[in-house]
Amino acid sequence: MTLPETRDRDRDRDRDRDRAGAGPASPPAARDGFPQLLHAEWTKLRTVPRWGLTLLGGIALTVLISFFSAAGSSVEIADQDRPPVPAGREGQQLVDSVGFAHRALHGDGSITARVSGPAGVEPEQAPEWAKAGLLIRESLTPGADYAALMVTAGHGVRMQSEFARDVPGSAAASPDTPHWLRLTRTGSTVTGYESADGEEWSEVGTVRLADAPEELSVGLFVGSPDITRMERAFGNVTVGQLGSSATADFDEVSIEGGVTARDWRHTDIGGVSPSAGDPGEFRRSGSVFTLTGSGDIGPAPTDTDLAATALNGSQLGLVLIAAVGVLFITAEYRRGMIRTTFTAGPRRGRVLAAKAVVIGAVAFAAGLVAALVSFLLAMPVLRDNGHVPPMFPELALGDAAVLRAVLGTGLLLALIAVLALGLGALTRSTAVSITAVVVVFVLPLILVSTLPLELSQWLQRLTPMAGFAVQQTLPRYGHVERLCLPENACYPQGPWTGLTTLLLYTAAVLALAAWRLRKRDA
Amino acid sequence: MDGNEAQIEVRGLRKRFGAVTALDGMSFTVEPGQVTGFVGPNGAGKSTTMRILLGLDRAEEGSALIGGRPYRELRNPLLAVGALLDAAAVHPARRGRDHLLWLAHSHRLPARRVDEVIEQTGLGPAARRRAGGYSLGMRQRLGIAAALLGDPPVLLFDEPVNGLDPEGIRWMRGLLRSLAAQGRAVLVSSHLMSELEGTADHLVVIGRGRVLADTSVRELLAGASGDRVEVRTGEPDRDRAMTVLADAGATVAATGRGTLTVSGLDAQRVVALLGGAGVAFSGVAAHRATLEEAYMELTREAAEFAAGPSGPSGPSGPSGPASGEDRR
Repeated sequence: MTLPETRDRDRDRDRDRDRAGAGPASPPAARDGFPQLLHAEWTKLRTVPRWGLTLLGGIALTVLISFFSAAGSSVEIADQDRPPVPAGREGQQLVDSVGFAHRALHGDGSITARVSGPAGVEPEQAPEWAKAGLLIRESLTPGADYAALMVTAGHGVRMQSEFARDVPGSAAASPDTPHWLRLTRTGSTVTGYESADGEEWSEVGTVRLADAPEELSVGLFVGSPDITRMERAFGNVTVGQLGSSATADFDEVSIEGGVTARDWRHTDIGGVSPSAGDPGEFRRSGSVFTLTGSGDIGPAPTDTDLAATALNGSQLGLVLIAAVGVLFITAEYRRGMIRTTFTAGPRRGRVLAAKAVVIGAVAFAAGLVAALVSFLLAMPVLRDNGHVPPMFPELALGDAAVLRAVLGTGLLLALIAVLALGLGALTRSTAVSITAVVVVFVLPLILVSTLPLELSQWLQRLTPMAGFAVQQTLPRYGHVERLCLPENACYPQGPWTGLTTLLLYTAAVLALAAWRLRKRDA
Repeated sequence: MDGNEAQIEVRGLRKRFGAVTALDGMSFTVEPGQVTGFVGPNGAGKSTTMRILLGLDRAEEGSALIGGRPYRELRNPLLAVGALLDAAAVHPARRGRDHLLWLAHSHRLPARRVDEVIEQTGLGPAARRRAGGYSLGMRQRLGIAAALLGDPPVLLFDEPVNGLDPEGIRWMRGLLRSLAAQGRAVLVSSHLMSELEGTADHLVVIGRGRVLADTSVRELLAGASGDRVEVRTGEPDRDRAMTVLADAGATVAATGRGTLTVSGLDAQRVVALLGGAGVAFSGVAAHRATLEEAYMELTREAAEFAAGPSGPSGPSGPSGPASGEDRR
């Protein structure tokens, strides 16, 4: 139907549509219009001043709590008389104390032995990472470069070097059946071989020794790491280190190449381990060498994650940022404005997606700023309070782990804000949604330090709080037992695994919310 | 351009909320170039119909089309339909202009268009204040501005004059008339017929989720007033007049001393009949029903019809149009 007097208006309308790029004749591409929805939602978010203030409050709360928890921290080192801890190339703390029976090797050569062990010293059982095998070191000084090939009590054959490197060999090798090992040195390269029968050999791995001198120490070694004993009840943790010893028999020992001294010498590297108490023992009976030793060669990780401590204000700051995520949709339900929103964007799933993108991006930015400021303010305070190398390694913003923690905090808060938005869309209630956020994120953080460790770690693994794992910066070593306590912001899983767990929760809640939005009347 | 894009077509809508039937076969069309009043008592289904038209609620049966399409299929809905549902539906901390701005952004309309509708609705400087401080009239104007933003050929207003002062009501009427004069289809709901008198060209009267009358204002008035003629006559002639008129097929009631109310015959015929029979009378007046009366008549019938079989404890006498709704 056309009315003559409406002609001009119609033309105006057509012009408007062309300008809007979405008239009936315009291409269907305009139909999607997701950028418009994003623009609209961004305008909504930035035009409610109190939401901006709440986000700033979330940043401020994060920074303040991070700062004060850093200011309130202190370091107590119980055993002041300990010899200085050896430090690795990057200043990290190391353990380097094993029983070592050795000779000097000039130039190229190799050492071969058949190892039976390691076994615990009665009545104790050997810990899983007790080890016995062959060792080539640049010197007898703790912290020296080395290559070690060993049979372990619980993890088969391993080849280790540089304290952090651990290459598995055959997993079937056990301390109960003798196993052949061989280390060959060519220049600065050391190659490890193993064999079940001394005839068929297979390579385990190679190690390159940095600026290896002409003369190296080669020989047999036995180590047995300390056992950590922990008592934990209602937030009180008592941790004790207990020394352990292991013993192993070596026969068919042969060294080829430029061996100068004929005699074997025995050295407890790093002196007698204070936790083990007894010095190691070296006995020869015919062609059989028996070596007893304690300690380990490897990294000595600290329990305290300084970066995570410097970021822990986000555990409460998240509430304010999540509140904005909730209000971003519940405020519309409260006033009936959601109807205006859905008349402007009848495809509700897309509207929710646009809201999620906008609140996610804003929360990411807020989280990133909060994390950066927290880290930069809290780190010097932690240093002043005694968190200094080598026990607490140097951390800089440029370190990969720190960058991951800081960026990860932004992602973490973005995911929490989007999860909060999804909860708001599902419940349509501000109070219920914010309570849910507190119950899901803040309550577990309190609970995990009081519940039994096993249960706490399952909570850390399975609840959305898993996302906080991304703030961990301590390196993880598969070949060193480490005490992982929720009190120390340690998560049993890796950083990205934890964040992915949260991501899955967020995606599930958002999908459910989108489904409900489409089904229900607005 | 699509010939009927400025048209609303509602066919056989049915919807229940739990045990309550909100819409029971609602059908009507709204044509361009006129103001269509959508009248019914509270709870008759006006808002539900409008929400279904806007794709907010789903009907169990039937279709609600705007320019031949369901709302959810419209590419740029604000350019096709403008709606004012609830003037209070604005975030109180957001400035009026910003509310219009996000709507404009959702359809890539320029900020200039926002300022145009602010001017058009007389929002003026209030647009720069937070909506929480608006009077009801200001909120209505903001809601209207939002509806006009996309310059749509179809407009839906749910109770737009509710809470407006007389000046605001006058302004609103002028606006509705001018929008219709521009060739748009304008659907205006109200629970008070008086609000639509002088504004609406066409009426869709509903009750209990269905259409009771779909007619022009003129026809509705004619249908109601054509029924009644008042005859003033002296005491002795009254009985004869009754006989004469009743014999001619009218329904005659003695409503007062010397007054008869006649329905079924128009005034001219009454005069001719009485004159022919030689009955003296002092006056014959066609009773001009107001729109309100015509509407009351319609809704009363609907209420009685509904109260009869389904209301076991309902009053047997005629009940007011609102009482049927109150029971929900």
